[in-house]
Amino acid sequence: MNWKKHLVHALLLPALVVYVWFQVYPIFSAFWNSFYSWNGLQRGTFIGLENFIRLFTESPFQEMFYRGFGHNVIFFIVTVISKLMVAFILALLITSKIRGKEFFKTVIFLPKLLSVIVVGFLFSLILNPTYGALNTFLSFIGLEEWARPWLGSPDTALYTIILVNSWYGLGFAVLIFLAGLQAIPSEIYDAAKVDGASGLTMLFRITLPLAMPAVMVMTILTFIGAFEAFELIFAMQGSQGGPYYSTDVLATYFYRLAFGSVDGGESIGLGSALAVVLFLMISSATAILLFFFKRKEYEQ
Amino acid sequence: MRRVGVILFSFLLVFFLAACSASPPAAKPAEGTSQPAAQEPQKEPVELVMYSWRTEDKDAYAKILAEFEKKHEHIKVKFKPFKSTEYNTIVTNTLTAGSGVDILQLRPYTIAASIADAGYLLPLDDLKGVSDIPKDYLDAARGSDGKVYGVPLSINSAVIFYNKKLFADNGLQPPQTWDELIAVCEALKAKGITPIAQSGKAAYLLSITHSVIAPGSIGGNDYIEKMLRGESNFKDAAFVESIQRMQELAPFFPQDFVAIDDKDAQALFYTGKAGMYINGSYRLETFEKLNPDMELDFIPGLAKEKGGDAPMVNWVDGSYGIVKSTKHPEEAKLLMEFLASQEFGQRFSDELNRLSAIPGVTPKNPLVQKMTQLSEKSMVPYLMLVHFGEGTPTTKTTFEDSLQGMYIDKLTVEQVADATQASADKWFQPVK
Repeated sequence: MNWKKHLVHALLLPALVVYVWFQVYPIFSAFWNSFYSWNGLQRGTFIGLENFIRLFTESPFQEMFYRGFGHNVIFFIVTVISKLMVAFILALLITSKIRGKEFFKTVIFLPKLLSVIVVGFLFSLILNPTYGALNTFLSFIGLEEWARPWLGSPDTALYTIILVNSWYGLGFAVLIFLAGLQAIPSEIYDAAKVDGASGLTMLFRITLPLAMPAVMVMTILTFIGAFEAFELIFAMQGSQGGPYYSTDVLATYFYRLAFGSVDGGESIGLGSALAVVLFLMISSATAILLFFFKRKEYEQ
Repeated sequence: MRRVGVILFSFLLVFFLAACSASPPAAKPAEGTSQPAAQEPQKEPVELVMYSWRTEDKDAYAKILAEFEKKHEHIKVKFKPFKSTEYNTIVTNTLTAGSGVDILQLRPYTIAASIADAGYLLPLDDLKGVSDIPKDYLDAARGSDGKVYGVPLSINSAVIFYNKKLFADNGLQPPQTWDELIAVCEALKAKGITPIAQSGKAAYLLSITHSVIAPGSIGGNDYIEKMLRGESNFKDAAFVESIQRMQELAPFFPQDFVAIDDKDAQALFYTGKAGMYINGSYRLETFEKLNPDMELDFIPGLAKEKGGDAPMVNWVDGSYGIVKSTKHPEEAKLLMEFLASQEFGQRFSDELNRLSAIPGVTPKNPLVQKMTQLSEKSMVPYLMLVHFGEGTPTTKTTFEDSLQGMYIDKLTVEQVADATQASADKWFQPVK
């Protein structure tokens, strides 16, 4: 039987090589690079934690970090409300006895088939202040005063992008929740009905606790997604996270530090240091979240 | 036992998810050079890959490079342009990954110097034609060792384009000073015409506009030299006034201009909905292509007083350099000699309506001719790019981002000046 085991290992090897080369090695090289001073594209001398200290104490890096971090937190909270809650309600509706379930499932999942860049481009057009469909529509139904430069105003730009992102990711969340809800045996509901439980009681006492694994997976994925948000912001507002950093998050800030702007100004050392900070933040927060959810499961 | 499994699995999941999230954006690997199938008896066929950030020039280069290929039948040149805003990232990744490119278009000044200093380029001081090019232009692609690493391609000027027909129909004269500019803007606005088609979404457009407005406040080279000697700085009254004037222009820009793309601003101008448009001279080609019937003209930088010195704001737009790791250095040199030749300069200027950096080129286009003549009369460098393009982020970037912040009421005029000066203080050494 032993040769079978070896065969499995041998078959795993190519994937492992690719994974180590493209995922593990870059992480360690970022760690490595963050301890050096950089002169343009050349590695300079070993400077220990200097890059990290500059990142947290020197202006403008400090301000950019905290502002970006704040925007990531907003991104997470608003996404939980606008994506997860909506997706859960939609999943509940689809599992209940409504007609055209399959149709709704398909429609909700459709956006996910587009590439993020395409979504960004489409919404840039829809939200254009001069000829965008959204403002045109608002004027058409008599709500001119609601029309505004959605992406050009610091008050609305970030929330607008988060909502677009939620719309884009909704289908995936609904699918995960559907899987979780459909795994709940119907006997439990039948028993609860016999005991005279109301719909709300069933939701809070049966559905939510038993769908917890799906909620956990989605919350963790949303958290990671919120803290590495980049593509959509980059596609809609560019690497500056404009206007005037109002949509700047840690990943766009990282991009600017590591790659600079059109006129240069990059710093590989500072960029790597920020990548390391991001990595530690996301991995430790994910671990805490997992631990917390796991404990909840054991309690039940 | 199950718990151990769960914990172990969780740990692996954490590592995997975090690994997915912290890896930097990967660059597309550059394509390797492919060998053409046709075999020539004398020379091995060679393909040279040439990078550029000007996707809009692709057709013109196809024509011009065909001339070169006719002379050297064994060489094929593959012109690969990338999106301008992504170009630097692509170049950095290509160079550090070990390259699949022979000829690079180099961003001027700081960036070209940093690529040269990192040892990625071949020096070109001895290349045929380089010694004829003005020293100031060669400065745009010089390494710290003083050697030349790039053949400058073209000179850009920041100008105020205006629609001659719109001006004539409304009885307006092209403005020379700040007060005249404001008067023209007021008149156009009263007629329901957008005075200046300005986009503010990409902040770099704001510093270009500032460079044209500024001479009206700070004057010309005298002030710039004072700045370089450290006798004056961004908090100086004259410079602060130039920022103040940028703010005073806001009512004459399109509504919500910070949310508008440059493409939309251009459209406002070439469809006759706006009277003026401020940007680099390279937009001339865009307008002549998109609306050939448009009566177009331009104004150089503003003068301090009527009839005073109205300088052209100039900078070298880019250069071409040879990547050290090229497998075909001889062929690359041949191509560079072509790029440094008057023949190429003339073709480039004619095909693309641009100012060539190669001496002895006479522009065919009357507006480009006018730019050349005005530059010869009076010229100032694009201060932010030529002298303040260093730092992390660069002082230029800090300045233009702060201007954007000013337009969305996040910063005052003084705060823009303070932020810019704070950025320069970190690295700028006055020339004594």
